[in-house]
Amino acid sequence: MFLNLRLSDCLSQIGETLGKETDNVGSVRRMNVRIAPQMSVMEKLKILGDAAKYDVSCSSSGSSRKNDGQGIGNTVAAGLCHSFAADGRCISLLKILFTNECIYDCRYCVNRCSNDVPRASFTPDEVCELTMEFYRRNYIEGLFLSSGILYSPNYTMELICETVHRLRTVHRFQGYIHIKAIPGADPLLIQRAGYLADRMSVNLEMATAEGLRAIAPNKHRKNILKPMRQIQNGITENKNELTMYKHAPHFCEAGQSTQMVIGALPESDYQIMSVAESLYDKFSLKRVYYSAFVNVNEDKDLPALVGGPPLLREHRLYQADWLLRFYHFKVDELLTVDRPNFNTAIDPKADWAVRHLECFPVEINRADYHMLLRIPGVGVKSAGRIVAARRFGNLTFEDLKKIGVVLKRALYFITCNGKMMYPTKLEEKYIVQNLTYQNQMGRGEKLPFMTDGTAYRQMSLFDNDDFGRNWRAAGG
Amino acid sequence: MEEKYLICEDSLEGIFTGIYDAYALREGHEHLHIQMGEEENLRLFASYLHILPDPVKTEKVADTLEKRLGEHAYHALCRAAASCYPDKGEAVYKTVVDALTAGSGRRVMENLKNPYVARCFELARFTANEAHYETEFIRFQELADTETANGGVLFSRIGPKNNVIPFIMPHFADRLSIENFMVYDENRKLFGVHPAGEAWYLVTAGEAFVMQEPARSEKEEEYQELFRVFHRTIGIKSRENKKLQRQMCAYRYQDYMVEFQQK
Repeated sequence: MFLNLRLSDCLSQIGETLGKETDNVGSVRRMNVRIAPQMSVMEKLKILGDAAKYDVSCSSSGSSRKNDGQGIGNTVAAGLCHSFAADGRCISLLKILFTNECIYDCRYCVNRCSNDVPRASFTPDEVCELTMEFYRRNYIEGLFLSSGILYSPNYTMELICETVHRLRTVHRFQGYIHIKAIPGADPLLIQRAGYLADRMSVNLEMATAEGLRAIAPNKHRKNILKPMRQIQNGITENKNELTMYKHAPHFCEAGQSTQMVIGALPESDYQIMSVAESLYDKFSLKRVYYSAFVNVNEDKDLPALVGGPPLLREHRLYQADWLLRFYHFKVDELLTVDRPNFNTAIDPKADWAVRHLECFPVEINRADYHMLLRIPGVGVKSAGRIVAARRFGNLTFEDLKKIGVVLKRALYFITCNGKMMYPTKLEEKYIVQNLTYQNQMGRGEKLPFMTDGTAYRQMSLFDNDDFGRNWRAAGG
Repeated sequence: MEEKYLICEDSLEGIFTGIYDAYALREGHEHLHIQMGEEENLRLFASYLHILPDPVKTEKVADTLEKRLGEHAYHALCRAAASCYPDKGEAVYKTVVDALTAGSGRRVMENLKNPYVARCFELARFTANEAHYETEFIRFQELADTETANGGVLFSRIGPKNNVIPFIMPHFADRLSIENFMVYDENRKLFGVHPAGEAWYLVTAGEAFVMQEPARSEKEEEYQELFRVFHRTIGIKSRENKKLQRQMCAYRYQDYMVEFQQK
């Protein structure tokens, strides 16, 4: 019965058909509509915000658009974080599900159809009003709209498009919009969404196809990669159009991203990073997100996480991800088949450096930009500043400090005018010891979760490499 | 030779007028200094000149700097001049000397070996960072009895260390072009005002001005509560990390943000 009605009529009727079973119509599956009749926006926001929180991406970057004076909103290339939640993650977008009713039964997901959780759906108007009112108060940078699969992928994708279309046209909203592409939805719907959104994303969920099959029986790798490829092609075509016609509409100006769950299955870091690298290279993704697995469903086939989610592992993967995107590293330089996991005690860049001591020490006043980037303690910004500042004269350690180089990490790897900062040994063991010794004193590498969380201390129990895989599989 | 201290008003105008007068003196720059506000400890063998801000001189200096140093370096100097630190006048002045007289020109902000340039760079970065945080963390509230076609007037109160309002207004004037809004800097008693569809401007309230808590519109409380709920809900319990939250969003910003005010 639903499909014969217009979308908005449907939504107003969902409340009325409370508890009734809908008939099988076309692709619509038999299911209960479990929405309380007069649920307030507050209650819906509680349920649907809660349901969306495991989606990692909340960035509002990559898109730069001025306001046209007709409505509110613009976008800033670097993105803006408007608040930070109690877990320290940024809140940039109003991240909600359109509905948490879902016909799928993915094991890791809190909204799987076999779970008995309160279900709710927004109406397009409610989403628009929330977005507009939050946005003008500067609470958010835009909207991130995802959804459970209501009836079918097409139906859901249409709902999302309808909502965003209304936001863009009726409310003339010009802020950032991130839309989830629903795998299996019609390519035309994906294309329509792409012209409305700044960013789209399709979640890869698991690094390997086998992993996905085991954990999300209704999802198929092929269905995930198809819209990803379509969006990539859309963006490329759009770029060509824009060079020809300046005022052509933008298609996913901020690119596309994806996300992988970490630690639910015994995949190695090498596998995960290789997948990420090929996504960057072959699918031109803007970002790959890694999400430390949280066993929300206490599923018996998934690891129970004794020490909380694998945050340190997630942190190392992000560090390596940055090395790929901004520091010109390749995955094969960081990991190999024989060494498939990152060293937990030391960050991937320092780890690479101590295993390639033949490249060091680097002379700050002579080395090229690429080599500067490889020095632990030197970032993209400070490398750029070094190259600019040394035109005016030779740099000293004092100058490096002002430039922003982290000398307590860099000092083992650099010389200024042929001299090292202190007499140090250029030995792997000695340097590792020093870098990690500082770590224990809380002065070295700053981990974002060391002092509060038990995560770090528990991990150091298992620092032994042979142990690595086991505790990871156990979710340490 | 005797050291000369030019005492300037604590503003962009004050500093630029000071620079103009320092050049007009035509005595080696190494013996001239710019000091903000009143002299603290009088120095022996030094003379003091009081400089009154002058709009014509300010404009001449601003034009020259923008033309000769380029937009990038000029804006960095403006940001440094908006800093809360009293040594900013001297740092900006000596950086200008490095650019115009020593000849680093458009590249001046890259010459981080020069201690004044490095200081200027540091001050400008602090102001820029704070302005960036304020664009993120400002919270507007809708005021009562000010209904227009697009809703009520939006008002925000901030307490920044540096004078950031001039740097954040362009962002909001573009973003909220059809809104009437104002931002109030508690520490400087300074308003940034934007009437819908028009250019924004600054209003200084006198020293004695006391800001009354304005009446909010009916819907305001509801949306604040909605955002508080969203903010609480979106955090993942098993990843809770208050320290990281504090690192990313310092308490001094949290004091002004609705989601951190317990109701």
